[in-house]
Amino acid sequence: MNLRRQLLLVSLLTLMLPWAGCEFIRETEIALRNGQQEILAGMARAVASSLRQHREEFPRRDSAFSVDGQVYIHKLTSRPEIDGYFDDWPLASDSLRSMRGTDGPVHFAVGSDEQAVYLYVSVSDRNVVYGKDEVVLVSSSPPERQEAIAFKAEAPGRILSTKQTQYGFAPEPTISAWWQDVPGGYHVEARIPLSQLGTNLGISVINTDSPEAAGTRSNSYIGRFPGPARQEISALMRAAANHVQADMRLIITDADGWRIGRSGQLGSRDDGTQSSRLIRRIYDLLLEEGDEATLAEPDPLGRERQPYVSTALEGGESGAWFRSSDTGKAVIAVTAPVTVGTETLGAVILQQGTDAILSLTNEGLSRLIYLTLVTTLVVAGTLLGYATWLSRRIRALSIAAEEALEGEDLSTALPSALANDEVGDLSRSFSWVLQQLGEYNAYLRSLASKLSHELRTPLAIVTSSLENLEHEPLNEASLGYTARAREGADRLRQILSAMSEASRVEELMRNAEPERFDLRAVLDSITQAYGDAYAGRVFEFNCDVDAAAAEGSPELLIQMLDKLVDNAVDFSDDGDTISISLSGTDGNFEITVSNPGPPLPERMRSQMFDSMVSMRGGKDSKHLGLGLYVARLIAEGHGGRISADNTDGGVCFTVSVPRSMPSQ
Amino acid sequence: MAKRIAIVEDEAAIRDNYTAAFRREGYLVDGYEARQPALDAFEGRLPDLVVIDINLKDDVEGGFELCRELRARSTDLPIIFLTARDSEFDAVSGLRLGADDYLTKDISLPHLMARIAALFRRLDAMQQPQGKEARLTRGDLAIDTERMTIHWQDQAVGLTLTEFWLVHALARYPGHVKNRQQLMDAAQAVLDDNTITSHIKRIRRKFHAIDAGFDSIETVYGMGYRWLSD
Repeated sequence: MNLRRQLLLVSLLTLMLPWAGCEFIRETEIALRNGQQEILAGMARAVASSLRQHREEFPRRDSAFSVDGQVYIHKLTSRPEIDGYFDDWPLASDSLRSMRGTDGPVHFAVGSDEQAVYLYVSVSDRNVVYGKDEVVLVSSSPPERQEAIAFKAEAPGRILSTKQTQYGFAPEPTISAWWQDVPGGYHVEARIPLSQLGTNLGISVINTDSPEAAGTRSNSYIGRFPGPARQEISALMRAAANHVQADMRLIITDADGWRIGRSGQLGSRDDGTQSSRLIRRIYDLLLEEGDEATLAEPDPLGRERQPYVSTALEGGESGAWFRSSDTGKAVIAVTAPVTVGTETLGAVILQQGTDAILSLTNEGLSRLIYLTLVTTLVVAGTLLGYATWLSRRIRALSIAAEEALEGEDLSTALPSALANDEVGDLSRSFSWVLQQLGEYNAYLRSLASKLSHELRTPLAIVTSSLENLEHEPLNEASLGYTARAREGADRLRQILSAMSEASRVEELMRNAEPERFDLRAVLDSITQAYGDAYAGRVFEFNCDVDAAAAEGSPELLIQMLDKLVDNAVDFSDDGDTISISLSGTDGNFEITVSNPGPPLPERMRSQMFDSMVSMRGGKDSKHLGLGLYVARLIAEGHGGRISADNTDGGVCFTVSVPRSMPSQ
Repeated sequence: MAKRIAIVEDEAAIRDNYTAAFRREGYLVDGYEARQPALDAFEGRLPDLVVIDINLKDDVEGGFELCRELRARSTDLPIIFLTARDSEFDAVSGLRLGADDYLTKDISLPHLMARIAALFRRLDAMQQPQGKEARLTRGDLAIDTERMTIHWQDQAVGLTLTEFWLVHALARYPGHVKNRQQLMDAAQAVLDDNTITSHIKRIRRKFHAIDAGFDSIETVYGMGYRWLSD
């Protein structure tokens, strides 16, 4: 994995930013919400204690009646038309209470405006028997006797109800009612003036399948008498209304949870943020889940049965948190019991929307998302750029080092050498190593000539001593020894001379005055000379240029060819053909010397033109590995280069020199 | 009268060997190991020939200094550098200081003797009237084999002994290619290819100084050199 990928991976750590930001937002939101809840709870307590003054307004629990049988009278904001249908009631359809009837469930709702009570009953009846099937509204004000208002029809449409009192049955014209047949049953809708009704209310349905049979009675209440009806009490409402602020809802319940007062409205959320689904989604993921917001709504059946309300009714304080997953609408609700002594009269429910918090966190969230997005991009981009820059520097350094090694130009300044960082250190170390290498190479190169120079004096002592010795009277044996010693000294001298050849060639190269000559003629004539010199080989000269006007030192080029030909002869066998060729390209002449023979060992390829590197494997002590080095010095001295390649069954040395020598 | 040769050489073994060899040839020999003792000894009387090593102990260029001082005192005293330093630069420097020859210690004693004998012979010839029989003429070239001098277009060409012998070997048979071995033999020296190349270059340059159109020494690539006569 390269540096850039590594740093890119590291830059992924910036994704921690949004996570941390979200944590922060979540914390903030919770803190804000808790704060709001605290305030709300305080308000609820205040309302509860203020309501204590109105303790007599709270309906008392009457243990004689079951709570479930109590009828709740909804407060109607508009008057429904008496037509047998519920759809014009200002109530949702889930406000219909359900009770068991003989042919199926019976649904009913009771509502009231200031003057009258409205009744709607929907009865399931397989077989409607006019005149016998009836709906009865039972009402009483204990301890008075109970009365019943019966609704039955001779035919669908407007019906006349009869009221049964302790005095008997009488039609009651103040009550208007409507009977509406529907498939599977019928509806009854009625409007009854408040004065006709007592405090306790109950609904009975009498169903029969034939005019002869006695009807079966189903009651909304349990026992013989209906329990007290519950409805909102305006005195309490008025008392509580002062405490209600905008976007706040106050609900007062009695001890059983029946809603006996409500005030205020939760503002609908400004859904300007709804446009961003993404944010909503993230927000949902982030924030603590609450109960479904619809549960915070006043109970459609009139009785608040949420757990947090129950807690209050048991004397404790409680809070709850609602949030709609659809709209994001969130509501904080708190309850406080209204107690007198040890008795709990009811509970105060205070609800408030969390729009302020929401919009704050919403805004925070979207800013957070944009900021972290930008930050991540900037950081990743910066890191990427930085990594690119860094890796480019390192790569430039490594390339420069390689080039310096390859080109043997070990004194070149490497990139980043002045940089004050680790790459700079690396560069300086590299430079130092290269410099050491260069010095070592230079030492190797000069070693031969230095050595030959130093050995020359002792050799002179040996040879001059031997020559003197030869003038002394010597016996046969001594003469043999001196002759052998002379021979050895002579060979030593040849070796020393070969060792200093490189430095002399270098010296000549420096002082050479380039002359113009015909390279083709020179090669032609020298090929003939080689033919004479090496009788065991065949030499051929191929040339694809007519005339080759070259510039340089022909003597040195010949010396170079001598080395190459010497090499070619050594690695070929008797009778082999050594071919020398000359070809011309733009600006360059190419001279090749090729011979059949063993291929070059691969590991030697790069250093075979170096000083004191021999491919002969020590079998020939005359060669010190300087021949090809001298050839290279001459080629490079002419501004050219020398290379060696294995050919099919042989070796080919190629020298490429420019047509005109570079000015030095 | 026996000739007196002075050897200034810091290496005692070589000095002694040369001394022995010279004495065997009948020369009087004085050996000195440094510049100052040699100068002190030459104060009274100059020897007939001086052989100097360049590197005299710690005196790295002592031989050059000595040569300069001796040349200042005598223009015709034969001076030979005999040194281990084989670089072209040193050779040119030495010859420029007025040395008659610049030899490396590769040279064999017989070759050295031949050179010394030749130098004395030239010295002697200089003092004799010119004899016609010793002259060799090839066009503009005139070689006096006795005095070992060469004239080109009647102007003297200042050649060293080695150079003289090389030109002499080439010009004796114009048109004949002399290979390196033959030239080496003629010059009484063991010379490698590069040294011969350098010598030929130096010779050409000296002729060019007199006649810019000089082109009588031709390189026969791969074989050697030959003298072209008009």
